[in-house]
Amino acid sequence: MLEKKFYVIAFDSTHYAISTEKKLAAVGAPITMVPTPREISTSCGLSIRILDENLERVLEALNGVSKEGMNLFRIDRTSTENKSVKLEWRD
Amino acid sequence: MNHKMEVDARGLLCPKPVIQTKKAVDQLESGVVTTIVDNDTARENVIKYAKSQNYRYEVKQADGFYYIDIYKTEVMFDSEILPQTKPKLSEIVILVGKNTFGEGDETLGEVLIKGYFYTLTEMEPYPKSIMFVNSGVHLTIEGSPVLEYLRALESNGVEILSCGTCLDYYQVKEKLAAGGIGNMYAIVETMHKAKNTIRI
Repeated sequence: MLEKKFYVIAFDSTHYAISTEKKLAAVGAPITMVPTPREISTSCGLSIRILDENLERVLEALNGVSKEGMNLFRIDRTSTENKSVKLEWRD
Repeated sequence: MNHKMEVDARGLLCPKPVIQTKKAVDQLESGVVTTIVDNDTARENVIKYAKSQNYRYEVKQADGFYYIDIYKTEVMFDSEILPQTKPKLSEIVILVGKNTFGEGDETLGEVLIKGYFYTLTEMEPYPKSIMFVNSGVHLTIEGSPVLEYLRALESNGVEILSCGTCLDYYQVKEKLAAGGIGNMYAIVETMHKAKNTIRI
């Protein structure tokens, strides 16, 4: 919970966030629904938090899912400059 | 002045053992009050009372009963015994009256309550106490979506209290997985002592 570095998927819509969380939870993907971290300003209030060791599993579970309205971020609270960096989805 | 008193609280239901113990302790200028109870909940509640008043206490078990000796003059200073490494707590008390956040859609309410407790773990200073009543007690039992957050808060010194009557009513007392059990006295007392109580 108090990890300083992790990944976050932020959503454009709350409904999309909730339905994606359900989809991921249904396949046992290790994720946590959290309020969107303050480091990310643009998006709805709900995000999915992913610990480093679980990123691959979650990305796999999201294979074939449209990434529209879904943004992946790297959060690093130890950084003094960019605490959040937007990442590209890989194909 | 009597220096020894005995409170036979066997067969009495919560919160009577605590009320009678408190009465006896109040009557005594100094000395020992021995409360006899016959169940775990009563024992825990009497111990909790003694701790809350900083009284030293001893628990003995005999013939299936618990004998709790409470020493009135000898004050136990937690702060001298425990190392001062815990983060500072605020004077805020949070009362959680249900297992969802806000009024409206249940699914959204569940998502929001998870978010609320997650955020609590990220915001220091932590509240002094979080008390769970009515359906709020579903958050402190096995299978609760916020259990890991409550445990994290608890390990940082936040008091987590579930209403015993409520655990009983929903028949989930055996499943309690975070914090302790409190009665209405503990809840009211905690709220009265608080600088600020937030009702969820």
